[in-house]
Amino acid sequence: MALFVAGLSHRNAPVALREQLAVEEDKLRELLLDLQGGDALQEIVLLSTCNRVEVYGVAEAPGEARALAFRALCRHRGVDLGTVEPLLYTHLDADAVRHAFRVAASLDSMMIGEPQILGQVKDAFALAQACESVGPSLHPLFSQAFSVAKRVRTETDIARHAVSVSFAAVELAKKIFDGLSGRAVLLVGAGKMSELAAKHLVEQGAFPIYVANRTWSRAVEMARALSGTAVPWDELTTALEAVDIVVTSTGATEPVVTRAAVMRVMHGRRGRPLFFIDIAVPRDVEAGVDSLDDVYRYDIDDLKQVVDANLRERAREAQRAESLVEREVGKYLARQSDAEVIPTIVSLRARLEEIRLGELKKTLARLPEATPETRAAIDALSNAMVNKILHVPITKLRESSRAGASRSWLELVHELFGLGRRP
Amino acid sequence: MQPTLINAALIGYVGATGLALAYLVQRQDLVHRLAVLCALAGWAAHTVALIMRSIELGAPPLGSLPDAISVVVWVIVLLEMLIEYRTGLRVLGAFVLPVAVVLSLKATRGPAATLAPALASAWIWVHIALAMVGIAAFVFNFAGAIMYLLQERQLKAKRPGAFYYRLPALQTLDRLTFQTLALGFPFLTTGLVLGALWARVAWGSAFTYDPLAFLSFVAWVIYAGTLAGRAAAGWHGRRAAYFSIIGFAALVATLGAGLFLPGRHGS
Repeated sequence: MALFVAGLSHRNAPVALREQLAVEEDKLRELLLDLQGGDALQEIVLLSTCNRVEVYGVAEAPGEARALAFRALCRHRGVDLGTVEPLLYTHLDADAVRHAFRVAASLDSMMIGEPQILGQVKDAFALAQACESVGPSLHPLFSQAFSVAKRVRTETDIARHAVSVSFAAVELAKKIFDGLSGRAVLLVGAGKMSELAAKHLVEQGAFPIYVANRTWSRAVEMARALSGTAVPWDELTTALEAVDIVVTSTGATEPVVTRAAVMRVMHGRRGRPLFFIDIAVPRDVEAGVDSLDDVYRYDIDDLKQVVDANLRERAREAQRAESLVEREVGKYLARQSDAEVIPTIVSLRARLEEIRLGELKKTLARLPEATPETRAAIDALSNAMVNKILHVPITKLRESSRAGASRSWLELVHELFGLGRRP
Repeated sequence: MQPTLINAALIGYVGATGLALAYLVQRQDLVHRLAVLCALAGWAAHTVALIMRSIELGAPPLGSLPDAISVVVWVIVLLEMLIEYRTGLRVLGAFVLPVAVVLSLKATRGPAATLAPALASAWIWVHIALAMVGIAAFVFNFAGAIMYLLQERQLKAKRPGAFYYRLPALQTLDRLTFQTLALGFPFLTTGLVLGALWARVAWGSAFTYDPLAFLSFVAWVIYAGTLAGRAAAGWHGRRAAYFSIIGFAALVATLGAGLFLPGRHGS
């Protein structure tokens, strides 16, 4: 019986093929029930997202099981198996465990650290559970994968730093201001990206929101959408005095916020920092404001640079996550192999203990005049003999299971000691 | 026994400093945990050493400048661990512990000096204790200023590096430097005033020339100026941080003068 995972992902399969193969939940259920009906697969979980289609299974012959599963999938989606087959990867046993952990922890994702994948794996597992297609191998595997994913998220910064421009701007604001709640935001100009940045800021507690636009009706409209206040265009400079964060995205060809204006404003602010997020191209805020104290200006290129730095930071954290996963794989495998031999060890001990107690009773019955000391000594003697005899077989069993070769040993022990059929 | 313990404490602090700096560069939980462990071990040895010193002297170990600085270091390390634990500001050690190490390098090995009979009065203990609390607060003031300048540079340069990710927000750091200044200043002031009053009682003049007294007055003026600037003129941020650093330099010079130059404060 072998654990395997087979499938294709964004790493090797083009998006055109992935979207063709992706299966929605209803069909997944059908497929699961279908595959489970046959003898080839003992257990099965199907994971289908836009970035990967994978089969996690337990089978006597993983190669056949894989072929069976993907034949069914391809038939279902009307894809030629011939185009899929050469792209499939297969991982067995320890490699399959590692793969499951890495996928759940978002280390195999297109965007390392993205949070959706864990939910998708959980859904796939829940579906398989509902179809009763998970058993003693996949159940602990997935439970452990979830807890490893959680550890990776909490113990590394793999998902911490923003990888989008608008979130990067929010993070920058958090490095300038002592918390964002109650920080006033001014939006200058309308644009999807500035609206998005404003929404993120509001989510972090920023308030109130002002909107300025050359077209008054546009300003009013956007202010309503963000529960903010519209500001007349010619009062822009006055508004600068009252706010902490300014998001600009006008289509103007000349800067709308000049260094001179900001310099005037800064006098009245008594050291409160002013943060410009300039998403417009050409830029709306004069680059000269950089030399003013307490003024921070990030244009779109600066923000992209921050995102790049964040990505590098994520990649560094991913290395830490990989070693964490590696340790967890080792622990999991050790536990699994122990779990495999423990029932046999327990029944072996029980068998010998039964023999020992039987013989002890007989012997003591024949020695009515024995002192308590003698009785205790005989008891201890028999105990010691049993333990000495058991020591080597038990050690051998544990070792063989860690080496992945416990099957023949388990059978041998069952035969030799008459323990009956293996469960 | 006591020198051995002091050495053990110093080794602990040096190890903790190295690890804390390593943590700043290579963000590894394990490194941070080891740093905390080192600092804690050093601090425990330091505690025992100070207790033994008190027993040996029959008085709190504040009677000579090296002893008093040793107590300051002890307070600094304790506060550093507490603040780090309470606020989760794990990088604090990298900025505070080096100062503690520098202070303790010279300070911890003095002969068992006792106060001159002319000085034996309860007020002298208060003078020393208050000044030491002030110094401890200014160590954190200094660390906050350094962190502010580093973070400000990164934000202005628009190239996020290790400090951008590790350090808290500018406003938080600015508040930290302001609060530590506001806390340390009254202690320093009262400590200095008591010292001057006591000098008058003991030597007949409040302003006899003494290198430590003179330099501590310089430091006091700098801190007073910074505090006034902050409170009245709206100083903040970079300027306030620079002044914090200058003030601290004067404070370090003060202690150096007390340790190395002849004067009323010993050596």
